[in-house]
Amino acid sequence: MPDDAFHLTESALEMREIQTREFEDVTNIEILSASSAVLQDLGYAIDEIEKELGVLSASKRADASNPAEMAGKIALDMFDCLATLFLGCENESYQSSKDVQDIKLTLVVLPDLSNDRTHSVRLTMQRVVWARSGELLDQESINDAEVYQAFFDKLSKSVFLEKEGI
Amino acid sequence: MHIPLVIALLMLAGCAAQTAAITAGGSQVELRQIQTRQYDTLDKRGTLRSVVATLQDLGFVIDKADYELATISATKLQDYEIRMTVTIREREGDRLAVRANARFNEKPIEDPKSYQDFFTALDKAMFLTLHKVD
Repeated sequence: MPDDAFHLTESALEMREIQTREFEDVTNIEILSASSAVLQDLGYAIDEIEKELGVLSASKRADASNPAEMAGKIALDMFDCLATLFLGCENESYQSSKDVQDIKLTLVVLPDLSNDRTHSVRLTMQRVVWARSGELLDQESINDAEVYQAFFDKLSKSVFLEKEGI
Repeated sequence: MHIPLVIALLMLAGCAAQTAAITAGGSQVELRQIQTRQYDTLDKRGTLRSVVATLQDLGFVIDKADYELATISATKLQDYEIRMTVTIREREGDRLAVRANARFNEKPIEDPKSYQDFFTALDKAMFLTLHKVD
């Protein structure tokens, strides 16, 4: 087992910033609802929501293209999905891909200690990539800043829509 | 040697191995000590939130969270897989006991250092959650 598996590193703190966004003038429930809506837009199934702790878990199975260049793949996947939201991710490269990835994420909503209308949202994601043959190709945390940026932009809009009741 | 007897013995050994896989575990008391830390607080919600934040800091994704049962399960995927469950219980003297147990791929983690590292990270999160620092 690697020595640093349970060790807090400098990069862990950087990741925390990348994975966290603060939202003002919203309730816990508004943020969770807005998040569910974004995840549904992106084709995720909500596996579990624990309101008391503000924890939401979701997952989806998606195509993963060439396993040799997987590192940046998820970012592209997410971006293209976001860009072609209403087309439902019909991008050529995803249709022709051979591998499958299971993406899993947790979203945690934390109230500010001094202002109960301010919440921070932290998203963490990981994925497992399978060959069609069932062989495990890769498993990893998703650490691309772009993915988180894209998600939070989407969530900001969703929070707005939620509050306007749209 | 009697061939049927040998076969019977082999089958018995097989059964024993299977049972061992289900109920095996090291010294219970020692392991519990390694896996448990007590905190001088009764803030169950704050403590659970600290556990979630710590797990996220360490690269875990939360599989299950239950406030009533005060249990969090999480998975970390790197080139390896770590599954961890954390439970919280009230203890005498207005304290909460946090117990963590984890496995690395197929093997339970029993070395004290891993748990020490985890609780060191949790200590920091507890401090931030339970005391407003700004």
